[in-house]
Amino acid sequence: MNRLSVLFLVFLWSLSLVPSPSAAPAPAATELPDPRTMTFPAPAFQPPKPERQVLSNGMILYLLEDHELPLIRMEVIVKTGSIYEPADKISLAGLTGAIMRTGGTKRHSGDEVDEIIDQMAADLSVGIGADAGGAWLDVLKKDFDAGLALFADILMNPVFEEEKLQIAKNNAIEMIRRRNDRPSSIASREFNKQIYGADNPYGREATEETVRSIVRDDLVAFHRKYFVPNNIMIGVTGDFDKKEIIAKIEKAFAGWKKKKIDFPEVPSVVERKDGGVYAIARPITQTQIRIGHLGIKQNNPDFFAVSILDDILGGGGLTSRLFSDVRTQRGLAYSVGSVFRPGNFERGVFIAYGETRVDTTHQAISTILDHIRKIRREPVTDEELKRAKESFLNSFIFSFSSPAQIVSRKMSLEYYGLPSDFLERYRDNVAKVTKEDILRVAKKYLHPDRLVILAVGDDGKFDQPLSSLGKVTQIQLTP
Amino acid sequence: MKKPVFLFVILFVCSLSGTAASAQSLADRVVEHTLSNGLTVLMVERHQAPIISFRITYKVGSVNEHSGITGVAHLYEHMAFKGTQRLGTSDYQKEKEVLEELEGLNWEIVQEEAKGSEADSERLKGLREKFEALEKEAKQWVVTNELAELYNRNGSVGFNASTSRDVTSYVVSLPSNRLPLWVAIEADRMANTVLREFYKERDVVLEERRRSVDTNPGGKLYETFLATAFLAHPYGYPTIGWPSDVGSLSAAETERFFRTYYTPSNTVIAMVGDFKVAEVIPLLEKTFGSIPSGPPPPPVVTVEPPQLGERRVEVEDEANPQVVIGYHKPNFEHPDDPVFDVIDSLLSLGRTSRLYKKLVVEKKIAVGASSSSGTPGARYANLFTLSATPRAPHTAAEVEEAIYEELERLKNEPPTEKELEKVITNLNADLVRSLRSNSGLASQLAYFEAVAGDWRYVLRNRDKIMKVTGEDVMRVARTYFTKKNRTVATLVQVLPAGEPGGKALPILKEGGQ
Repeated sequence: MNRLSVLFLVFLWSLSLVPSPSAAPAPAATELPDPRTMTFPAPAFQPPKPERQVLSNGMILYLLEDHELPLIRMEVIVKTGSIYEPADKISLAGLTGAIMRTGGTKRHSGDEVDEIIDQMAADLSVGIGADAGGAWLDVLKKDFDAGLALFADILMNPVFEEEKLQIAKNNAIEMIRRRNDRPSSIASREFNKQIYGADNPYGREATEETVRSIVRDDLVAFHRKYFVPNNIMIGVTGDFDKKEIIAKIEKAFAGWKKKKIDFPEVPSVVERKDGGVYAIARPITQTQIRIGHLGIKQNNPDFFAVSILDDILGGGGLTSRLFSDVRTQRGLAYSVGSVFRPGNFERGVFIAYGETRVDTTHQAISTILDHIRKIRREPVTDEELKRAKESFLNSFIFSFSSPAQIVSRKMSLEYYGLPSDFLERYRDNVAKVTKEDILRVAKKYLHPDRLVILAVGDDGKFDQPLSSLGKVTQIQLTP
Repeated sequence: MKKPVFLFVILFVCSLSGTAASAQSLADRVVEHTLSNGLTVLMVERHQAPIISFRITYKVGSVNEHSGITGVAHLYEHMAFKGTQRLGTSDYQKEKEVLEELEGLNWEIVQEEAKGSEADSERLKGLREKFEALEKEAKQWVVTNELAELYNRNGSVGFNASTSRDVTSYVVSLPSNRLPLWVAIEADRMANTVLREFYKERDVVLEERRRSVDTNPGGKLYETFLATAFLAHPYGYPTIGWPSDVGSLSAAETERFFRTYYTPSNTVIAMVGDFKVAEVIPLLEKTFGSIPSGPPPPPVVTVEPPQLGERRVEVEDEANPQVVIGYHKPNFEHPDDPVFDVIDSLLSLGRTSRLYKKLVVEKKIAVGASSSSGTPGARYANLFTLSATPRAPHTAAEVEEAIYEELERLKNEPPTEKELEKVITNLNADLVRSLRSNSGLASQLAYFEAVAGDWRYVLRNRDKIMKVTGEDVMRVARTYFTKKNRTVATLVQVLPAGEPGGKALPILKEGGQ
């Protein structure tokens, strides 16, 4: 017996412990209909419509009843954000939101607020992001009155206890200390700085000094300026009676006065005319990759064509070009893709991302670059377009899968100044997109010559040096 | 064919008076049905929107692995996206021949490599070249990601899968009129998955490992912690596998694992959404029900021996410190298990919890602290864990000390009535909230059915938790929270050589407290 046949027997043995699939095919497959030839009508659904009301103090209310479970949920959007905080007080907006929740009110100390929330098993949170503030209450129906009273108190009368501010500041500083602990967060953060500029409100980041400089009076003033009823929308969903709840909300916020707000001017983003290659040296076995440039705003008329372009290029999960090639065919990455994240008040970003073994870094980067170049050179195939459109149209129904989601979407459309029939027209707008549109928007919004290419990894061990992609700028991390 | 069993369960009692009716009306609609081959199906009709969430859970995870094949359950999870004998291929018969040839060749390479320094490098080179050529040949029959594409164009949301120590789950949500499509794909996938593109996908998993463990300090710490706490039991293996094991898994070995564990009687299907139970059952019988039921899979026999003394381990990295502490405890069936659930809540539920109040608010030595009962799984004896992130200049050791003080307190003074009441209120509220989304409900039902053998475990456990007394808490704390029964893992910051001063932030003086 020669060597090969011995080995082959061993191989068979390993299979023979259990029935092999070819020896005993399960009957199911042959009897099943072929999913490739099945056809279905587009799902038809008339989602419930929330009711919109404006209260006398200017507060906008969206209401949608849902009596399935004994729960009530409120979502608040406040026009504010870290884009409005002064450059030497970065983190002020975030801390204001956090301490509204933890720092007590005129009626209750911070510890009492914690106690009330935990004792009635409510979820109550406040948070302020880049261009919006939010607050959420999720409470059992039986506790709604108490929950609403506390929620209104927190929104109107926070006292920002000094001790709670100190804890939050210390924790924020600790998180700054830790922000270089993970290569993926280094990559995302440094990429963002390159795209928006380290001084722009969308690109800048807190330092220990900016956090230390924030004092209680800053929070009081920030809250006083933006938390006024005419600057707030509230969405309510759950097990309530519409008429009854409006009266309750009016009462809870009674005495809260309208006020005019002067929003600070936000410096607009200066688009870079050049790209660049950036390296951050870390002695790790896997390289984090980010490639991209400025993107579009959501109100761009090309938004729909761009969304489909992105779906085909790298946004569409397992079927996108980047995923199929870089991950499935080449086995170079676990996570790889692209996203045209639309901006709201400012332009968003286009970003292609992935991570790969140190000695396949150049191969992965150049494969991604090839796909970006190719999609603006050649039209996508009919098949790709058809698939992407079907995916958008057929999954659209999931945008309405819960009343809270419906209300939340309606509010954010209004907040960001998008047409109120945006969703109703969404399907038509997607259906209209052609191959020519996609090629046109690819040429218009993808710029290979302006790409920022950023890699966090062990530069010396790459399959080819980054310098083969252009002049490399080394970024020294500041902790 | 068995008749469906309609369950009338009184889910929520007195503590939610006035709210019980509506919650109950939904729970009443859980329909349980066992197919003729032993596959369990749990169904809940919900007609708010024309969508359905599907979840297929197999009672198999990395706990069913042994040394040498760690990571195989997770790798199979990846392979089940590659299609079947019909999907993902343009000609399965031809493809099959090449795939079998590839396996033979792989075995030859493995044997040659095993010779180490004695290996014939010329022969190895030739074999590898041949292997690559064969992979290319196999590729010509592959229809890339066809299964995903079918779901995608039919409007799927959340098409994914996950593997844990105890279970493996495949999930997707679809517009409700696509139910027959789901059946056609999943019944085929359950019976006829083809392990194509195996060796490329193995590379993908190794990338996944580098991402979630090797370049993730928290991931590294957790992996080392578990490997230290379990000397014998497979709960100590990382679910993603040790890199050398993953790197030498073969398609044949993976297929064997699949044939052993992924049998109908080892499977639970949960579906929640807009469909009619009466119409679905015959369809499931005809399709999933015709998959032959294999012999019951072998049980996990290894039992972790009692710990003989405290275990301590350090993981060095460029990152800032963290600490994890674990105590061995029994599995979900043991009467002490619900007591640990109560202790977990007392220690870390919300801002009024003991750890948050002591470590973050009072002592100000940590930015966060948490606990968890049932790490890394629940089916077999597991761990009660505590973890914390110290705040400089405070050290992991200081944080550890403060945690022990809280554990000592549990041993010596019973929790207040108010604290126990809070635990129950939150538990009940969580139960109501878990019913909110189709996918969330499907996940709960499938998980408890698979791990505890009955989805009603959630309700039974809730009743047990309600009966836990302050005495129980003290007894359990005294029994289990001992130094001898403890494993401690610490992430220690080490700066790269040749970096004067390092990149770490100098520790500044305390903020005004």
